[in-house]
Amino acid sequence: MSVKIVNLKVNGVDKAFMARPETTLLLALREQLGLMGAKRGCAQGACGSCTVLLDGAPVVSCLVPAATVDGGDVATVEGLADGRRLSDVQQAFIDGFATQCGFCTPGMIMSAEALLARNPDPTADEVNEAISGNVCRCTGYAPIVSAILDAAQRRRERAEGADQEATL
Amino acid sequence: MLTEVHVPDDVDAAVRLVSSGARALGGGTSLMPWLNDYASPPTELVSLRRAGLARIDVAGEAVTIGAATTLAQVEQDERLEILNPVVRSIASVPVRNLATVGGNLFARQPHGDLAVALVALDARVTLVGADGSRELPAGDDLPPFIVTRVAFALPAAGTFRYVKAARRRWNSASIVTVAAVVTESDGVVTAARVALGGVGPRVVRAHAVEAALVGGPLTEQAIGVAAEAGRSELAPADDAYASAWYRARVFPVHLRRALLGR
Repeated sequence: MSVKIVNLKVNGVDKAFMARPETTLLLALREQLGLMGAKRGCAQGACGSCTVLLDGAPVVSCLVPAATVDGGDVATVEGLADGRRLSDVQQAFIDGFATQCGFCTPGMIMSAEALLARNPDPTADEVNEAISGNVCRCTGYAPIVSAILDAAQRRRERAEGADQEATL
Repeated sequence: MLTEVHVPDDVDAAVRLVSSGARALGGGTSLMPWLNDYASPPTELVSLRRAGLARIDVAGEAVTIGAATTLAQVEQDERLEILNPVVRSIASVPVRNLATVGGNLFARQPHGDLAVALVALDARVTLVGADGSRELPAGDDLPPFIVTRVAFALPAAGTFRYVKAARRRWNSASIVTVAAVVTESDGVVTAARVALGGVGPRVVRAHAVEAALVGGPLTEQAIGVAAEAGRSELAPADDAYASAWYRARVFPVHLRRALLGR
């Protein structure tokens, strides 16, 4: 058995840690880097509570051996807020009561952030597809879909506002 | 238990490691769930993530997809529009960003819907072992070598059909999957390749359905006759998604929906 040094950029900061063969990206984030946002739910890739962005794309981090993504760029829920100002998706989840026990929420939010990054104006059906890998046992999904659509609208309005300011 | 994770930079190194007993890892979406339970036997893995196998080439009609290409890469490639509904019917977004084209060939039914489509498309699978490379038709039993690529010719526009029946719209295993390439001329079927998923322990090439379709018009009645002929080729299983009885019962409906679009 060998231990490898793995380098990752996590939420914009360079990190290095020792990975045993069984160290998954999820375990590295939680146990080596202290980022407890991503959760270990099923460890089967079925529940999505460990979803983080790897090189911009959402992945179930429980299925990724850390050594295979050396040099990668990882984004977790901890990196979304700007100081104490939450991201639009985070704030919309709070305002829309889209979180109850909270276990699925970091994964849901990362899936939503990835969707809005490539599709700023999704339909409800596109939101359903985007979060189809994230299981929530509390909310019944309707408030989550509404919150993501709400966040999309807030982001579009902010972008339009910025455009107007730029032209003034 | 994982004892080692190798991440070689080229296929030759990966082949050497597999020859000495390591297991090839594509996206990990089948193997890692099994390894994550801490009760699996000692296992050495060879990740293909950096072995140079993740690329899509389209030259005219000829499509070549590297084995480590993710399902998400296929989904986002406009040249592979015909495979878009196929890959989007598989698992979920964060799984498709990991799962690979080569790995899907080893997915156990009722998973492996891309493999069903590749059988309908008459794809060829290239494998590399210690004694060199070989090519096999998609759907054949694959030896424990490393798959390097799959290749097929894009079918004529409008001839590829795909329907997957599942319990939910997204992220659900197959009840019945139908993939087909059907060529018609003057209202008569001149050629048909029909592959089925969800209705057996492996992807089924529905020869009897094809034989019944060729030479006649593609009508609801003709498809009903072909589905009846195809019953003998089905060996569905009971599982958490559907009973064997249900799968056999709804097969004709989904064959019709795939071939007629209604």
